Amino acid sequence: MPTFRANLLRGGVRQPWGTIVAFLLPAITFYVALTAYPAVRTIWNSFHKVLPRREEFVGIANYSELIQDEIFWKAVRNTVTWASVSPVIEVTVALLLALALYAKVPGARFLRVAWFTPVLMSYIVVGILWMWIYNYDWGPLNVLLRAIGLGKFAQPWLGSPDTALASLIVVTSWMWVGFNMVVLLAALHSLPKDVVEAAELDNCGWLAKLVFVIISLIRATLLNLVVLSFIGKMKIFDLVWITTKGNPLWSTETVSTYVYKRAFEWTTFDLGYPSTIAMVWFVIVLGAVLLLTWLFRMREKLEY
Amino acid sequence: MPIVTRTLVLLALSLYTAFAAGPFVWAAMLSLRTTPEIHLDHFAFPNPAHWEKFPDAWFNSNYATYFTNSLQVVVTAVLVLTIVGAMAAHCLARYRFRLNRIIYFILFSTIIFPPQITIISLFQILVNYGLYNSKVGLTLVYVALQLPLTIYILESFFARLPADLFDAARIDGYSDWEIFWKVSLPIAAPAVATTVILNFILLWNEFLFAVVLITDEANRTLPLGIQRIIGDTQEDIGMIATGLMIAIVPVIIIYAFFSEKLIQGMTAGAVK
Amino acid sequence: MAIVRLERLTKIYERAEAPAVKDVSIDIGHGDFMVLLGPSGCGKTTTLRMIAGLESISDGILSIDGNFVNEVPAKDRDIAMVFQSYALYPHMTVWDNLAFGLKRRSIPREEIERRVTNVAATLGLSEFLRRKPHALSGGQRQRVALGRAIVRHPKVFLFDEPLSNLDAALRVSTRGEIAALHRRLGATMIYVTHDQVEAMTLGTRICIMNKGRVAQIGTPLDVYHNPANTFVAGFLGNPPMNLLPAVVTDDEGGCTLAVGSLKLTLPPQRMPPLPAGTTVTLGIRPEHVSPHDRGYLQGFPFSCEVVQIERLGAETLIFAELGDAGARLVARSGGDVAFGLGDRITLYADLSAAHVFDGAGNALHLQTQSR
Repeated sequence: MPTFRANLLRGGVRQPWGTIVAFLLPAITFYVALTAYPAVRTIWNSFHKVLPRREEFVGIANYSELIQDEIFWKAVRNTVTWASVSPVIEVTVALLLALALYAKVPGARFLRVAWFTPVLMSYIVVGILWMWIYNYDWGPLNVLLRAIGLGKFAQPWLGSPDTALASLIVVTSWMWVGFNMVVLLAALHSLPKDVVEAAELDNCGWLAKLVFVIISLIRATLLNLVVLSFIGKMKIFDLVWITTKGNPLWSTETVSTYVYKRAFEWTTFDLGYPSTIAMVWFVIVLGAVLLLTWLFRMREKLEY
Repeated sequence: MPIVTRTLVLLALSLYTAFAAGPFVWAAMLSLRTTPEIHLDHFAFPNPAHWEKFPDAWFNSNYATYFTNSLQVVVTAVLVLTIVGAMAAHCLARYRFRLNRIIYFILFSTIIFPPQITIISLFQILVNYGLYNSKVGLTLVYVALQLPLTIYILESFFARLPADLFDAARIDGYSDWEIFWKVSLPIAAPAVATTVILNFILLWNEFLFAVVLITDEANRTLPLGIQRIIGDTQEDIGMIATGLMIAIVPVIIIYAFFSEKLIQGMTAGAVK
Repeated sequence: MAIVRLERLTKIYERAEAPAVKDVSIDIGHGDFMVLLGPSGCGKTTTLRMIAGLESISDGILSIDGNFVNEVPAKDRDIAMVFQSYALYPHMTVWDNLAFGLKRRSIPREEIERRVTNVAATLGLSEFLRRKPHALSGGQRQRVALGRAIVRHPKVFLFDEPLSNLDAALRVSTRGEIAALHRRLGATMIYVTHDQVEAMTLGTRICIMNKGRVAQIGTPLDVYHNPANTFVAGFLGNPPMNLLPAVVTDDEGGCTLAVGSLKLTLPPQRMPPLPAGTTVTLGIRPEHVSPHDRGYLQGFPFSCEVVQIERLGAETLIFAELGDAGARLVARSGGDVAFGLGDRITLYADLSAAHVFDGAGNALHLQTQSR
């Protein structure tokens, strides 16, 4: 029975252009006015000094300044570290949890709902909660450490340049593991039972079964989650802004917070330079995503 | 699974659950205690439970304003977004024309865009048109922000509807526009509901665009409001906790009723 | 009720190599039940959709009641269609499904109510009027789809394989209902199917299509007994007609064929004389081939080896190989047979019922046939 898409391919009645345009126009208008045009304008900005009342063409001066910008590169390193480490933690832990639920642990349905909750919260709420958790004097983390005799490990977690970034990474992991877990659980449930059962018959130990059979079957979903997580962390702003604002000493500065600061909180007002940062960053993100997907596809092809 | 492994697994799961839910439980407890009480002992159970802190926070700090602002902006944005998105999705799914896939691809690919690409220019544009610092401006930006995702979800749903249904409606004498309103949308109600819930939650929690485009106290949305209160009153933990609880109430309510739909909606795209 | 005329109707899809429908000309008279029959991909559904107005017409003329309707939109052609998948609106009740098409045509409410109630009663749907499609069985949904068409009182009814989604028993009973409907309403109906049983039992005339073209049009029995080409001959009948490659010998009269090393002479009414060496195809239906000597006046004994026997209870099908001709012969026998697999037997063919087709597959009868 043909669906729309099948019928689309067959071609049908002559196209009612008036209707098509009427349906698409509002969405296209929004898109062009508030997404496409601004993006193009950012490109334009990046080649200018954009001051309150005038713009000055500066060619690639912004770009060359960017290359020398220590803070920018620190921010890039922070963000890329975040975007690289997070997916690994988030997906691995999520996979383990999903496998545990898949193995029919009691209360699985409740746990699934409960673990998903952090995803729904605004980064603001999450940020504040964790600032309290990380509080040096009375935050539960340090209190716990002191209570079990590991008091010497108690730190000003968000206040020390060495631990601040890692502490924030823990926070985002805490948020997103639940999401990944739910996705993986769904993926596991959608696996054809006969393949899993065949593995059982082959007398694999459950670890071998896990690694070789199940993981290779859900590989596509795993990749998806890694890419999603990666993209998400490359964009991160809210959490940093509410907790550390990039401090201490730029150790938690991300590209997005840096762009904001250069645009709206800098001593000199110039929207051109932050636009340049945005452009370069966009290219980096795009490149990274393409690289990731290409890498995983290559591996898939090699396996077969 | 052998008993030892099973126990370890259960232990790990319980620890994780404490880890995942703990912060909220703690925040809930804090929200019902006064700040002096908290300073005495950060972890005591609320005794007595100070329910009056909620109306207090609502009326005496600007929570009421922030909450209503958020409500206005988000509800309007979601309404416009759903209609505009559904129209576009319906058109892309149903009619065949050369630009169809190109348009779909362009709209969909913007999901990868980092917000920095548009935010500075949006600031400039809104200032130029006098929409800076206005709820209207923010609403419009929010619509544009969530259109790609909405169209993506709805398009795949509309594309799965049987073509015969529309042929039948055409023979029955209905115009394309009427078919959209009387046939497509009603049938798509579940998918539309999912996008509504999804968009509501994403926009309710949205921070970056709000912080750039709104500076006026009277127009602040909830996330901004909380940020401002944190800035002003760092130490009033009790009050902040209450405010946090107020902020997450709508989300919790939606989640309580629609958890399955919400989970499916948010995760559907990721399962392959 | 209407006269529908298709003149050289053609449909070419963009970027397609061959036309989906080519030069289809059919005249459908007032009250006719015309069945478009053919294998999947033959263009029958596309033709139907062009008649309905759901596909644009690339070339040719379509007229309903003498009016040129190529450019007329579907809703103005006064047709109603029953879809294979029923296409019921899932969010509406049965009542609303039936009434939907009427509401749009400024028909007064009382009239709508009257029609819907009547049709629902006729089809036995009265108790389901408040239900939604998902709460109905397949057969009931089918009837709602039928009802939706009837309620419109259209000039032409179009059916697109409406019985394919039903199980075998329901198919038989619904077939009867559609036939009864046709008798009762006396309506003009155009019906698409790939099932020859439906075509033979429902149609007043059948149009067999193959690869976008008309292979033959005629009454069911006419098309069955006088197939115009090998395609029609092989398509109708189950099991299909035996088609054996043959060559005209140089015997006198030009009516002798060599099938492998066998020579048989056909009665002059069955083929015109042909020059020696002409390649032809000899066709004979299984019901005209029997393992028993029936005393055919023009019987011909084929010596062959049994490769398969299908005992169906009321009859038995025998599949045998003709040895050096390399061809297979299928025969029908009422009741059981005594021989088994591998046996060499004689199959008697009644050559007075044989058909001869030329190298291009067209029939070579001398008699005139009706079209």
